Amino acid sequence: MKLWHSFLKELKLGSKSFYFYMELLMAVIIIVILTMVVPENFESKANEYIFLDLDSNFEEMFIDSIYASSDNVTLEETILEIGKDEFNVDLYETDEKRIYIFDNEVDMKKTAEKKKSLGVTIKLQDNGMFFDYYLQGYESEKFINIVKSVHVLDAVTMQAEYDKIPVKSLGGTQDVLTDRENLLPLFLYFNGSLMGLFIIAAYIFLDKGEGVIRAYAITASKVSTYLLSKVLLLSVTSLVTSFAVTFAVMGFDFNFLGLFILVLTSGFFVSIIGLILSSYYSNIMQSFGVLYILIILLSLPAIAYNIPAWNPAWIQAIPTHYMIIGFKEIIIENGDFMYVALTSLVFLLMSIALMPVATYRFKKTLTVGG
Amino acid sequence: MIKVSGLKHSYAKDGTYAVNDISFEVKKGEVFGFLGPSGAGKSTTQNILTGLLQLQEGQVEVAGYDVKKIKNNMFNQIGMSFEQSNVYSKLSAKENLDFYAKLFDVETRDPMALLDMVGLKEKANDKAGSFSKGMKHRLTFARSLINNPTLWFLDEPTTGLDPAIAAEIKEIIREEHKKGATIFLTTHNMQIADELCDRVAFMVDGEIKLIDSPKNLKLQYGDKVVEVEYVKDNETIKETLSTIIVEDKAKLKIIIDNYEILTMHTKEATLEEIFITVTGRGLV
Repeated sequence: MKLWHSFLKELKLGSKSFYFYMELLMAVIIIVILTMVVPENFESKANEYIFLDLDSNFEEMFIDSIYASSDNVTLEETILEIGKDEFNVDLYETDEKRIYIFDNEVDMKKTAEKKKSLGVTIKLQDNGMFFDYYLQGYESEKFINIVKSVHVLDAVTMQAEYDKIPVKSLGGTQDVLTDRENLLPLFLYFNGSLMGLFIIAAYIFLDKGEGVIRAYAITASKVSTYLLSKVLLLSVTSLVTSFAVTFAVMGFDFNFLGLFILVLTSGFFVSIIGLILSSYYSNIMQSFGVLYILIILLSLPAIAYNIPAWNPAWIQAIPTHYMIIGFKEIIIENGDFMYVALTSLVFLLMSIALMPVATYRFKKTLTVGG
Repeated sequence: MIKVSGLKHSYAKDGTYAVNDISFEVKKGEVFGFLGPSGAGKSTTQNILTGLLQLQEGQVEVAGYDVKKIKNNMFNQIGMSFEQSNVYSKLSAKENLDFYAKLFDVETRDPMALLDMVGLKEKANDKAGSFSKGMKHRLTFARSLINNPTLWFLDEPTTGLDPAIAAEIKEIIREEHKKGATIFLTTHNMQIADELCDRVAFMVDGEIKLIDSPKNLKLQYGDKVVEVEYVKDNETIKETLSTIIVEDKAKLKIIIDNYEILTMHTKEATLEEIFITVTGRGLV
């Protein structure tokens, strides 16, 4: 009952505090960003800037090859604005790329240079097509070799060689998230854990500033009850904001139970870390350095999540790595619920193990800064 | 109600002690004053007694509980009025008391009655954050009574209050004492200690220099003289006469019988003067 009354008091205090609304505001901002700013899928079409120095027959053949490469090809005669310059171009847009055909090489080269992109002049030489590539200097040796090798064999022979190579998928059919959905785990971990860490510390420092922790300590209620009431408040706001953001992006297409237990347990874990941290300092300014380092450290798995090529083994020692993967499993169709459940269980056990440390620290430091 | 034996506490843990081997007892129903200047070790001792500071050395028993193994039940019997107000500024005065009332396992007092007692009834629904320093202090004082404590710790209960309010607070303390509460009063205000305490302890540099009742201390350290100011032959005369020496007593009688007395005072030592005599230190 004391925990319940303490929680109700925290809820009342929270509803009158800036940090409470900051968390809700962050959730609203995340929803707006994800639903209105972030596209369903990021633009991945490549741009090619081409000048055709060919006679009309070969030019026609080249254009035909563009139409042959894709089922959806559109042609638009348009004006390409590059800074103050305007160029008349034919824009062929396929599913995979935009091909800009220029009527002179100077304009093409100027555009490629300004856009820091690949430019090509295709011309006839020795009864064959000849390609002049205009690279920007940042291309890798590997890319240059690929460009060279493309022209070693003719297209028909190359296709025949490709067809000889058997390709077998080991993973079966994979569910694919849209780019927007793929960002959701990052926002969930940010909103639920990083914000939680900062906000619970802020709540504690507010209480320390008012000295109410000392008054609470001289009641028949336990210090751990006081700390748990803070954790409960954070859990409730994290659940509300996490479900709101997930509903906004996924609709009803996610694992409700998985989200509930992972938000609850990961939030609990991060809150305990925030409590232990705040027990060492009297105010938020003093704690800012350590808080900042901790938040950076906990953010590293998010970088690894966005850059699959950078995923060192030690990243897996950072708990937020499992939060992000867990949140992904929750929103992916046929996600691994066992992973989510196990991750939640580990967070719960770690929280239970750390709770006595937080309580001990607060008992020990009751007369310090509050 | 309180038993302290060989209590030591060091913040630096380098052999220097904020509280150095003190022992005392507070009997049930007693008002015990803990007096001394800032930095004497009063607050450290009080914080150990209330569990706010962990016991390092010595034995401390409060309300029958060993402070080394504090049980939450102990706090059902304890009230504490802090020197610095510490209330939830975003809650109203009544909400503050309502909340604390729910943290005890014993019957609690009516928050409105407590607010009325400290003159805050009209402000019951105002946020504590809008209160003046004195009002916050009164709210903190009222909160300390919410669980009807049998052992009541008061840390500078009248500091920062205007004289009229301070007099009311002193009256409340007397009333609670009459009801049987044991009171541990920490202060550097000798006047309030003199008025309220059954016994006082003088503390300086972490050590208790003396424990006795104010009355005994005055008898022991006060001068047994009378200062009298009277008019003789149109001239104002001031004399100091002993109340023990026979000649002085006779002379005093003659003055009273024959001349117009302007002022007459017994030269009783104040607690502050006694403190300075005993400890060789002032109170600031």
